[in-house]
Amino acid sequence: MAKYITRRVIYMFITFFLIATATFFLMKALPGSPISSASKLSPSQLAIVEAKYGLDEPVPVQYGKYMLNLAKGDLGNSFQFKNASVTELIVKRLGPSFILGSQGLILGVTIGIMLGMIAALRQNTIWDYGSTLIAIVGISIPSFVFATFLQYWLGVKWGILPVALWKDGWLSSVMPSIALAMGPLATASRFIRTEMVEVLSSDYITLAKSKGASGFEVAFKHAFRNALIPLVTVLGPLAAGLLTGSLVIEQIFAIPGIGEQFVKSIMSNDYSIIMGTTLFFSAFLIVVIFVVDILYGIIDPRIRLSGGNN
Amino acid sequence: MKNKKFLWLFSLLLVVGLFLAACGGKEEGSKTTTDEKEKEETTTPAEEVAADEEQVLNLNMSAEIPTLDSSLVTDAVGFDILNNTNEGLYRLNQENVAVPAISDGEPTISEDGLVYTFKLRDANWSDGSPVTANDFEYAWKRAMNPDTASEYGPYMMSGVIKNATAISEGTVEYTELGVKALDEKTLEVTLEKPIPYFLSLMSFGTFLPLKEEFVTAQGENYAKNSEALLYNGPFTLKGWDGTGLTWQLVKNDQYWDKDTVKLTQINYDVVKETATSVNLYTNGEKDRAGLTGEYAMQYANDPELLTEADTSIFWFKFNQERVGKKSPLANKNIREAISKAFNKDDLASVVLANGSMPANYMIPKDFTFDEDGNDFRDVNGDMSTFNVEEAQAAWEKGLKELGVTELTLEILGGDSDLSKKMDEYLKSQLETNLKGLKITLKEVPFSVRLELDTSQDYDIQVAGWGPDFQDPYTFLSLWETGGGNNQMSYSNPEYDQLLKDINGKLALDPVARWEAMAKAEKIIIEQDFAIAPIYQRGLMFLVKPYVKGVVSHPFGGDYSYKWAYIEGKN
Amino acid sequence: MSQDIQKIPADSFERVHIDSSQAERITKPSLSFWQDAWLRIRKNKAAIVSMFILLFIIIMSFVGPMISPHDAETQTLTHANLPPKVPGLEKLGIMDGYGTLAGKEVDLYELKKVDTYYWFGTDGLGRDMFSRVWKGTQVSLFIAFAAALIDMVIGVAYGGISGYYGGRVDDIMQRIVEILIGIPTLVIVILMILFMEPGVTAIIIAITITGWIGMSRVVRAQVLKYKNQEFVLASRTLGASNGRIISKHILPNILGIIIINTMFTIPGAIFFEAFLSFIGLGLQPPAASLGTLINDGNKVLQFQPHILLYPSLILSLLMIAFNLLGDGLRDALDPKMKD
Repeated sequence: MAKYITRRVIYMFITFFLIATATFFLMKALPGSPISSASKLSPSQLAIVEAKYGLDEPVPVQYGKYMLNLAKGDLGNSFQFKNASVTELIVKRLGPSFILGSQGLILGVTIGIMLGMIAALRQNTIWDYGSTLIAIVGISIPSFVFATFLQYWLGVKWGILPVALWKDGWLSSVMPSIALAMGPLATASRFIRTEMVEVLSSDYITLAKSKGASGFEVAFKHAFRNALIPLVTVLGPLAAGLLTGSLVIEQIFAIPGIGEQFVKSIMSNDYSIIMGTTLFFSAFLIVVIFVVDILYGIIDPRIRLSGGNN
Repeated sequence: MKNKKFLWLFSLLLVVGLFLAACGGKEEGSKTTTDEKEKEETTTPAEEVAADEEQVLNLNMSAEIPTLDSSLVTDAVGFDILNNTNEGLYRLNQENVAVPAISDGEPTISEDGLVYTFKLRDANWSDGSPVTANDFEYAWKRAMNPDTASEYGPYMMSGVIKNATAISEGTVEYTELGVKALDEKTLEVTLEKPIPYFLSLMSFGTFLPLKEEFVTAQGENYAKNSEALLYNGPFTLKGWDGTGLTWQLVKNDQYWDKDTVKLTQINYDVVKETATSVNLYTNGEKDRAGLTGEYAMQYANDPELLTEADTSIFWFKFNQERVGKKSPLANKNIREAISKAFNKDDLASVVLANGSMPANYMIPKDFTFDEDGNDFRDVNGDMSTFNVEEAQAAWEKGLKELGVTELTLEILGGDSDLSKKMDEYLKSQLETNLKGLKITLKEVPFSVRLELDTSQDYDIQVAGWGPDFQDPYTFLSLWETGGGNNQMSYSNPEYDQLLKDINGKLALDPVARWEAMAKAEKIIIEQDFAIAPIYQRGLMFLVKPYVKGVVSHPFGGDYSYKWAYIEGKN
Repeated sequence: MSQDIQKIPADSFERVHIDSSQAERITKPSLSFWQDAWLRIRKNKAAIVSMFILLFIIIMSFVGPMISPHDAETQTLTHANLPPKVPGLEKLGIMDGYGTLAGKEVDLYELKKVDTYYWFGTDGLGRDMFSRVWKGTQVSLFIAFAAALIDMVIGVAYGGISGYYGGRVDDIMQRIVEILIGIPTLVIVILMILFMEPGVTAIIIAITITGWIGMSRVVRAQVLKYKNQEFVLASRTLGASNGRIISKHILPNILGIIIINTMFTIPGAIFFEAFLSFIGLGLQPPAASLGTLINDGNKVLQFQPHILLYPSLILSLLMIAFNLLGDGLRDALDPKMKD
């Protein structure tokens, strides 16, 4: 196990390095310039500004410098925010995004698992159809439409929750979290139902039942544990999906998160923020995938973690 | 099985139900809000005793503050905030006329119009120290210092302040800039040539003073957040962390004219979605909300709707030479045909529907006035108006000259919802009115459009311009041969000569200068059809009736809150 | 009772001979995998109904723009933002051309002097929503089907090979996946769209370039789960080739999850396209998809709900149909659920 983990960690660093390299060159190939008033400047004035940001050097040199700074943990300065370093920006914006993302994921997956289990255990009853219905509605409405509805009804009409902004503490996070939870909820409930139905019809469940195990015991001890496996494999992509969701949700609810800033950075060629956030999300994803793989081995003893050694 | 059928019927019903709820929502919504208002009214007597007209304004911003270092600001939000937290030699007043601010009365101007000597009034920075002439000298030279890498410094000062052009070309040291503090309270500015609109420039953000001692002491940290800045204007900034979506302006007790300032605080939040900002407005959390066309239509009869004419103009740029190759748009008749072939009135009133006006001109309405107060627009009137017959005649002629029967042209536009909708309309108009014309649309982010513009890789571009100072020259100078904004291979020696005269030998003769500028506009639009004006932007807002005295400006910072106050909120 | 039995004559009984060869006789006609599946899915009414709904939507997406009296791209500005009006139905008080204008309920058709019918109303440029919705459905379905198909082919092949062969192959393939999955999709998508001519192809490539990873991971996990199970081991012991094990033992077992996953890919693709239009990178106008239509409609939700209603309704119908059909297919394809 320890050997496996060490090897994986080395791979993680290689992965991270490759991503950094790929993103850097891809980003440099994007058309456009980060200097917003370029057309107002004469060539000599423009040259001064470009030199200040190191944009006058050949791309490989810029790459070398960037990687050296990255190794030192320096992500550079933003182009849009002229007085802010990228690290500062990410640190400041991380909190709200993290709160929304984790709340959305936990809420969605928990309810999804519950709905999926109910559906599987009470197959072809009104419970089953009810939970399927919720899952379908969850994926039938794009999150930005759902968020607009939530904001209008819960915020403006009924006045239960704050309309938007990040000012009322935890209450501000409720609506965006619900909006974010719809995707994971649908995915989780569908997967759990499918898996549980399959597991419940397998021989060892029949055996467990015939040995007199209670319905509860069968459901949780045997069926649920096995049904969780495929769900674990989609957790990584789900977490990544929340990023996409957060771009939209944070913008609609005016939340000072990272996602809200990401699209704008790409549109305005803010190289350092694009790199910084891409690397940050990549690191996050790599770690999530790593953890998922470890979990996978713990939940399903049939999968051996020795990987390439057999 | 029956249950499953029931299931999808039920889900369908649920979805439909959601929408019906939304449709029905409108009337119910207005009802609830009136109910709430009544509720508020019944509770007011108690509150009135507690707070007698709290002078607090709550506003939305559509973007963050990228920086408040006045040498580095390039965007609307930055200039808007600076206009309220800081003050230069001049300030735009309630009538949008530049009046002396930190300058104590009008400056003395040398006979050749080259040397301006300003006396400064007694004014303080927010830390209590006095604003001195050196603060101006330092700030302006800092903006020209290559180490600062300011974009607007060289842009605003080149050709205006003595030596600025040479400094940005690297032939002269930045310390040689034509600005000098004669003593604590006397500032001498030397110009490159007489500039008739020089005093209106003095209200612009790039010309704000900076306290040298403070800036050098802060070093790297200068302007990183609201504590790392000094203010000498009506308000000071609070709670800004450099990249955040929220901040406040608080009344500045050190401001020399603080008795005029009535507001005690302005709370800002960045809200990028129109729907969200309207919802916050409806909820009473915000006092103003910008509207897009769709919303404007629905609030058409609302007493809280406010339309403001903006001074940005949008036009078609006809690229005559695409990536080194002569394009069909080099033909004047083709340009004329396209200029006249789309209905601007419908575009402004139905498609944009946000208070924009059809533009048959390049110098905006309500922007510049001659000495007798006549609008430049009244002098020059309309040009290249919508006229299908003339368009078609020119089109036939142009096609014949090119020896083709059909043309495919690309329109390069922005990627906002509004510009997409407008481009779709323009495409349909041009294709309907000009036989044999096929338009393809290309909609890209601003930075990409800028690059395509620079490399001249487009046929027709929807571009716009907002003025940087109060003179038609800010628009006319765009089309100088080889100019940084031309980027469409337009060149007319007569036009170039007029530009030279306007800022040269005619500089001190306002009447002749005015005529020359009128002629130049005619050449661009009516004679050469180099560009085809589309519309003058308008802005629509919902503003609470108790918000009074907010002044909106045609250039520089968008608003002044110096004179704003709250009345009748309770 | 017992006496009665004794009264029955002995010749009423016939002796049965047990023929051991008869036990092996196949009494039902031999059915292929797909015939069997079809037999079972036919019994699932919800799946059949869904299939008809899908068929209807697909046909309408081609026929719809043709039967409408108005063209999808003709702009009649004087007819902008009209609510739906359908002959016949208007007398019932629904779809009668009434809408709110500045807070009042008025007949907008009368107000704007329009004497034609727009079945789904018009948009802000006075274009017929009926034609546009069906045209958009066509585009969305095309994007979704193409993306789902590419995702499925690449994902199943990649995940299958990786999981089945395991070892070094799996290791290398999973490292590649990790690198791909680590790059936030959005960066790639925006790159693709800025590089290529913006349009349907760019969007399909952008969706599929990382879209297949989810499928490949699920398939790999399933293959890993099944490849060490007893029946596979038994088959291997009996000398079955890899091809036979994959096609006869593993594939049928994981077909269910592939289908469900694909059923999720299709709405996923439609949604991603909608998301792209939300951030301003969707289709280039005047082309429309359900995504761009919903995005446009979402902005005017409080005033012109019909612009959001119809594309959303069709999207929801598509989702529900795809899901129920997926459920039905899974039940039908899963060999363990044979009755």
